[in-house]
Amino acid sequence: MYQKELNERNPLRLFEHSIHGGLGLGNLGVIVARHGTGKTALLVGIALDEAMRGRKTLHASLDNTVDHLREFYDEIFIDLAYSARLEDPAAVRLEMERNRILHTYAGKSFTIHKLRHSINFLKEYAHFDPVCVILEGFDFERATTEDVEAFRQLAVDFNVEMWMSAVRHRDLPVDSHGIPEPLSKFASAISVIVQMKDEGNGVQLSILKDHENPEVTKVELALDPSTMLLVKK
Amino acid sequence: MISDLKRIRNIGISAHIDSGKTTLTERILFYTKRIRVIHDVKGKDGVGAKMDSMELERERGITIQSAATQCEWNDHFINIIDTPGHVDFTIEVERSLRVLDGAVLVLCAVAGVQSQSMTVDRQMRRYNVPRLAFINKSDRTGANPFRVAAQLREKLKHNAVMMQIPIGLESNHEGIIDLIEMKAHYFDGPNGEVRRVEEIPEALRGAAEEKRAEMLDAVSMYSDELMEAVLEERVTPALIHEAVRKGTLSLALTPVFLGSAYKNKAVQPLLDAVTRYLPSPVEVTNEALDIAKGEEKVKLSSSPEAPFVALAFKLEDGRFGQLTYIRVYQGQVKKGDSIVNGRTGRDVRVGRLVRMHSDEMEDIDSAGAGDIVALFGIDCVSGDTFTSPQIHYSMTSMHVPDPVIHLRIKAKDKKAQTNIGKALQRFTKEDPTFRARVDQESGETIISGMGELHLDVYVERMKREYGAEVETGAPQVAYREAISRRAEFNHTHKKQTGGSGQFGRVAGYVEPLEDGDFEFVDEIYGGSIPKEFIGSVEKGFRSMLAKGRLIGFPVTGFRVVINDGAAHSVDSSDNAFQAAGRGAFRAVYSAAKPQILEPIMKVSVEGPLEFQGAFVRTVMQRRGIIIGTTEEEGFVRVDTEVPLSEMFGYSTDLRSSSQGKAEYTMEFSRYAPVPAEVHLELVKKYGTGLIADDEE
Repeated sequence: MYQKELNERNPLRLFEHSIHGGLGLGNLGVIVARHGTGKTALLVGIALDEAMRGRKTLHASLDNTVDHLREFYDEIFIDLAYSARLEDPAAVRLEMERNRILHTYAGKSFTIHKLRHSINFLKEYAHFDPVCVILEGFDFERATTEDVEAFRQLAVDFNVEMWMSAVRHRDLPVDSHGIPEPLSKFASAISVIVQMKDEGNGVQLSILKDHENPEVTKVELALDPSTMLLVKK
Repeated sequence: MISDLKRIRNIGISAHIDSGKTTLTERILFYTKRIRVIHDVKGKDGVGAKMDSMELERERGITIQSAATQCEWNDHFINIIDTPGHVDFTIEVERSLRVLDGAVLVLCAVAGVQSQSMTVDRQMRRYNVPRLAFINKSDRTGANPFRVAAQLREKLKHNAVMMQIPIGLESNHEGIIDLIEMKAHYFDGPNGEVRRVEEIPEALRGAAEEKRAEMLDAVSMYSDELMEAVLEERVTPALIHEAVRKGTLSLALTPVFLGSAYKNKAVQPLLDAVTRYLPSPVEVTNEALDIAKGEEKVKLSSSPEAPFVALAFKLEDGRFGQLTYIRVYQGQVKKGDSIVNGRTGRDVRVGRLVRMHSDEMEDIDSAGAGDIVALFGIDCVSGDTFTSPQIHYSMTSMHVPDPVIHLRIKAKDKKAQTNIGKALQRFTKEDPTFRARVDQESGETIISGMGELHLDVYVERMKREYGAEVETGAPQVAYREAISRRAEFNHTHKKQTGGSGQFGRVAGYVEPLEDGDFEFVDEIYGGSIPKEFIGSVEKGFRSMLAKGRLIGFPVTGFRVVINDGAAHSVDSSDNAFQAAGRGAFRAVYSAAKPQILEPIMKVSVEGPLEFQGAFVRTVMQRRGIIIGTTEEEGFVRVDTEVPLSEMFGYSTDLRSSSQGKAEYTMEFSRYAPVPAEVHLELVKKYGTGLIADDEE
């Protein structure tokens, strides 16, 4: 299979369709799930898809090292290339890596200001102007409304699609849309909220918020636990 | 022979280039009374530290070759394998790690965990080597052992637990507080050889108690007994030692010690820890491959009655001939014994057995399991296994990467001409990543290795040790050629020029092969090519791989499948089918879209955050891609991948653009296709013109 075909067949296209054309530039999206459900895998899947379609992607992490993240990408890429019998995987991988930069903040050194600084830095010095920014490991439990608003503003200012991950705790209540706390407090600043849930027969995806649409579409997507790839049910 | 194996420690001291490893080793040898005077690296007295036995190393202040030396501490015998700190000599590091049972990871209290520490640490993890950490240079301005311990946890993912806290830092560094005994240790005398143990100074009591609680919390995970004792407040030092040892041996815990080797502070407690927490040879499982049983894995026993098994891990050209360092894994060896070199099958007589102390030696009569000793005048190469005659074992072969860089060398005079050969023979035996060959076309000698510095060192050694001065050409990257798509062939080789003719037809396809250099598959059913000529076709293809038709570099990742053909009862022969194979290769090569592959190096640059822009610029200028960046408290590490061909002169560029405050490490990552414009350039430069013939 050629890369273009692979891109077209990616189940993420179905996902984009379900949220009416994707997250969209200038918007903030959050993936919420319990610990160990596969949030990083899904985010890597999204970033990989972006980078393979020639879109520059910055993947920032507060809790994974660069080496570890890279292993994640390599594994998911190899599975993807293998299952699709991709033509010339080495060249595709090289191109993907050119479109992706990983950035980690070791210790407790992260601030939103630093992330803005990093993006500016990459634009200026590395001629790397991202259209997608992924931030994982941010602790929403300690976040204020101003923090989340600042992330949304970052997405607007840099004109990027920004995806974040949030941990869901078992005992915390959900609002009328099924959005769990503490995320429900910040829902107005977030355009898309996707939940991942282990249903025993694989991790199912569901959309809890889709921009300003009152009704959300039921998505028929799951994360294959063995390959960590998104699959149609 | 040392009778009690439990009292042997085979350890390595592994570290970043400037963390003071050699100074630490020197102090260890002094406190264990192996040497009487202390010399320093780059010392004023011109003698240099003991472990850097080669002149060149002395001059550069770095350790390249790993020498083994033995010392005694608290009734224990410690064999120290000095491991090199530079990545270009990684094979040396890896080979040393193979024979170690434990290691001390030395870190600088100012610079902390640097990229080189990460490389070395990764290698140790691969060989399951339990580690202690020693945070050195606590007397230096900016020293902060607590920060370094935190980096061990965050950057290297160690469960690092401080076993001591400093009494004063920087110029006030006086000693350490032992959190197990809860005593202050000071080091008096001209060389810190007098240990003075006192009560903890009042000002530090609170901090010591807090850190002890943290330590107990972490350590008690490895011993139920200790956990109970903590709850019942009846903790004894012995219980803590046992728990730390358990955690360390299972690689789940890294106890952290600190001090200043240069200022003679706290080296003795580190030695105590080596004997207490690192494993003896009995506690490590070693396996060999039984060649007689199809390389079946066999566990080795440390019993002296078992047949002898040893690995030659290091060769040195001493003043009196070749010295072979071996690690004995099983049984014992005595002077006068006959042992067998498993690779050659030859019997070897052990004439002289010595224990090494850097470049001085002590004759011994026998050596047993766990020992590290040297043999004299035995012909072998690094990595050979020696056994008793009744068994045929091999220690697992170590992964040896292919060289990525070549250099043409030419003797400057007649004397050099004769000595180069000797030198190269020696170096290639010592170091499997270093190769040498004579180019058949130009008659020039070409040496190959893992990086510019790697080859530089050997050129220097030729001059110093063999008096062979050579002129060198420009370093040459080891490119490769590989096809990128499947292509079919159907080629007939036919010749009829009087006498018996030649005839052979082969058909099938070629395609890229992911793992491996070459694969030949015979899918002919029905005998269109007689069985005896299949091998000839393979030979024909194989003969074309040494020189690719694009730029004349070796072809790799090539799979041939033949599925049809034809033969003639009289005119077909081995020669005819070899020619048919060669012809088919020529015919199909360009259709299979060959690419040029180049070695890509993983380059990590590290330094103060303000130079981040400069790092990125130096990498971007070199066709590099940024893999990732890590920010931490004013420091940044940029991980990149850069083609080797662009890395020449990098250290100078980096130095000048970072005011000397940055450093980098480089190791081979993989081969990758070159971009189109580089492809054209290379074809212009090295092009064989053959691909054009193919297309005609």
